[in-house]
Amino acid sequence: MGCEVRVVFFAAAKELVGCREASLSVPSRLSFSELKDILLEKYEALKILESNFILAKNQEYLDFEGDALVVFKSGDELAVIPPISGG
Amino acid sequence: MKDDYAMAHLSNAEVARYGRQLILEDFAVKGQLALKNASVLIVGCGGLGCPTASYLSAAGVGILGLVDYDCVEINNLHRQVLHDEEKVGMNKALSIAASLKKQVLNSLIETRTHEILLNKDNAMGVISTYDIVVDCSDNVPTRYLLNDACVLLNKPLVSGSALRYDGQLTVYHSDGGPCYRCIFPKPPPPYTVANCSDGGVLGMVPGIIGTLQALEVVKLLTKTGDTLRGKLMIFDGASSSFRKIKLRERREDCSVCGRCPTITELQDYELLCGASANDKDADVDLLDEFDRVEVKEYKRIVDVSSPHILLDVRPKAEVSICVIPGSINLPFNSLTRQVCDESYVGQISERCVECNSSPDQPLPVFVVCRRGNDSQIVVETLKKTLEQLPVVVKDLKGGLHAWASDVDPEFPVY
Repeated sequence: MGCEVRVVFFAAAKELVGCREASLSVPSRLSFSELKDILLEKYEALKILESNFILAKNQEYLDFEGDALVVFKSGDELAVIPPISGG
Repeated sequence: MKDDYAMAHLSNAEVARYGRQLILEDFAVKGQLALKNASVLIVGCGGLGCPTASYLSAAGVGILGLVDYDCVEINNLHRQVLHDEEKVGMNKALSIAASLKKQVLNSLIETRTHEILLNKDNAMGVISTYDIVVDCSDNVPTRYLLNDACVLLNKPLVSGSALRYDGQLTVYHSDGGPCYRCIFPKPPPPYTVANCSDGGVLGMVPGIIGTLQALEVVKLLTKTGDTLRGKLMIFDGASSSFRKIKLRERREDCSVCGRCPTITELQDYELLCGASANDKDADVDLLDEFDRVEVKEYKRIVDVSSPHILLDVRPKAEVSICVIPGSINLPFNSLTRQVCDESYVGQISERCVECNSSPDQPLPVFVVCRRGNDSQIVVETLKKTLEQLPVVVKDLKGGLHAWASDVDPEFPVY
């Protein structure tokens, strides 16, 4: 079973991908590392960040421990948030 | 040293001055006394540090520490609103202290300036004398340094950052919450980190984030409201939207705040991050002298109308500021390290035909950018992509900054 999630890119991720929002097909149950693989396969430009970003589902941090289970339903939001360091 | 009675009571002058916040139910006299007895260290006296210092000073934080090694530049003034034209060249910590004295006129508080670059040897000594640290810095090494020092000294860290239209804000190592390393265990690859000098920043964005940092400090000190402990506030100035991401709890295996930390003293953070602890650009030195030409030499080529091509690899917004006449704009994306447009190969090929260039008499292609860093990367790329054409690709050494200083003093510098 798959579903469509809304991906929102912030800061350097937005610049690398070239848009603020996109739609992504993901299985409704998958591990964190599978989710990251799908994301990086579709948005290869993010690879240069070398995983230096947070993934958040519906505004909640997803733990980057590889086998943590992530459950999605259609319409969920996945945010890609690299840190900013300017000031 | 203020005496015990003064620290436990508000004077009539203080009641008069802070009346509008004193009458807030959860703030009240105990809140004001908490501020009066507090010491807060602001690290970085720039776009974030200015509003943070302004509001904390106005609110009556007893001792305000200001750290900055850097001096005021004219290009700071659009966002660093406590500095002004007369203070260009002055140390930023001293400049803020002077402005607070003049503008905020809060004779009831004390400021302490630290005109230093914090590093592993001096950070603990400075930070240990303050209750809370506010990260208003502009670079990755300082962010890891402050995080580790705050964990080791058990101080909360109010962390803010801003770039372009984006801002981020959270409170680390507070009340059992996560630290910076719990969320970002590894520093980013250095070339993916943009600074305000290259990426640009709209002044109000650090203005908003710095003001929110001051609010978090006041809530931490007065124990009112909910702080951003364990939450990351994201501000998108382009759409005027705030978002609050719930972060994870403290990481049991965090290398600095976990159960068995491997980091028990400060490290060399420039080494850890592969970057300098400032937001200045390091000079790139990629090419041999043969692949480079001085701007004065280029000027002679222009003066004798010798056939050549000048490629300006800056982003379009920068080209709209100033340009050397006759150049072709070929924007280079410093993040993806690619030129954005492939049509230039055809254009250069046509010029080679027009100019009758040959392998014996190749057409010079000069590459220019703002400072002469990106242009070197592009020269390396073009030497490969233009291999089949009768051209010789060279970097214009020092870029438009060199052009302005050595050839055309009227040329704008940004």
